[in-house]
Amino acid sequence: MNGIESLLSPVILFFVLGAAAAFARSDLAIPESIAKGMSLYLMAAIGLKGGKEIAELGFSTEILVAAFAGIVLSFILPLPAFFALRKFGRLDPLNAAACSAHYGSVSVVTFVAGMEVLSSAGMPPAGYMVAVLALMETPAIIVGLLLAKRTGGVTRTGGLFHETVLNGSVVLLLGSFMIGLVIGKDGFVPIAPVFELAFRGVLCLFLLDMGLVAARRLRDARALTWRVASLGVLLPIFNGTIGVLLGASIGLDVGTTVALGILAGSASYIAVPAVMRMALPQADPGLYLGLSLAVTFPFNIIFGITLYTFIATRIIGL
Amino acid sequence: MTEIVQRRRIEVLVDAPLARRVVEVAKSVGIVGYTVLPTLEGEGTHGHWSDDQVSGALAKVLFLSVTSEPKAKAFMEAIEPLLESHGLVFLLSTVDVIRGKKF
Repeated sequence: MNGIESLLSPVILFFVLGAAAAFARSDLAIPESIAKGMSLYLMAAIGLKGGKEIAELGFSTEILVAAFAGIVLSFILPLPAFFALRKFGRLDPLNAAACSAHYGSVSVVTFVAGMEVLSSAGMPPAGYMVAVLALMETPAIIVGLLLAKRTGGVTRTGGLFHETVLNGSVVLLLGSFMIGLVIGKDGFVPIAPVFELAFRGVLCLFLLDMGLVAARRLRDARALTWRVASLGVLLPIFNGTIGVLLGASIGLDVGTTVALGILAGSASYIAVPAVMRMALPQADPGLYLGLSLAVTFPFNIIFGITLYTFIATRIIGL
Repeated sequence: MTEIVQRRRIEVLVDAPLARRVVEVAKSVGIVGYTVLPTLEGEGTHGHWSDDQVSGALAKVLFLSVTSEPKAKAFMEAIEPLLESHGLVFLLSTVDVIRGKKF
């Protein structure tokens, strides 16, 4: 797969269309409730698919190793991000801590778009990466809050455990993964028309909406300085490369290695912002949401997935 | 003849993830009736915001309650320390209501 092929994937093209429409100030809009419904559908579909694949192939030590690698990445990646945001981005410790948590956690939509691009290129990632994705949501939040605690920025902890561990996306991803595991291939066949055939079309429409949301967020992102915005591109490249190197070093195949790179390079904009708003109300949500949603997410969709694929194929192909 | 009495109307514009905190403050001062309303979009000193169900972090809701003068005063004193740190917009007004015992 070359970069041009990746950029001409319908998923990426719909994202670009949404972003272009928002920059042109078109009145194109997808109703919020439909966008929310599509995101729930996509999470249920990838969870089911991942669980079904594990049911078919069985458990292996590779799954445990990949899960451990994902958890380690989520714990560690906020630290260099915090350092870079403090020193280069010139953010105060509280905002740097809030932003850094986003870069250890993951973006479900980036992962789904990456899976789609990789599958189309004949390099489908292993199904268990859905479970790795869910496991990587939380550790970075803990590290981000610990970094913020050093500054005295954490005002309350009640409800955070509930919000972090029982976050809707985590519950749906792991729940549908378990359902896929229980029903297996035979049980999946009757529901495949909904969760498999319609998947790509729904993903295209959802990416159209995400293009609109990301571009409008960028337009409204007054808090972003050029230094912070440039870290929104440099951090995913750094983190994604670490993810790819780690995936290759533990012996994952190319598609799964890229998936780990995508997870490491992505930044959360669903689970983490809500937790940070609760725990660190003094931190600027326009800053951390603008950075993850308006800078890193579009970068990863348009360039990052292709970049991580390029690095993985070069390393594993050697 | 319908009896009209005066009560205090409290409105707090708050980010959706922090709404629970406002409700807790209201309950701590004895306010039992309230409504949380969705909002669409707006603009303030920090720029433009709009309802965003994908991230939810910047979506705002409006906490609305009608209560007695003593409870409204207690709420105002309890919520004041959070106004700056939590980015709240607090409005207090006087309204005419019927069935005054409900509030």
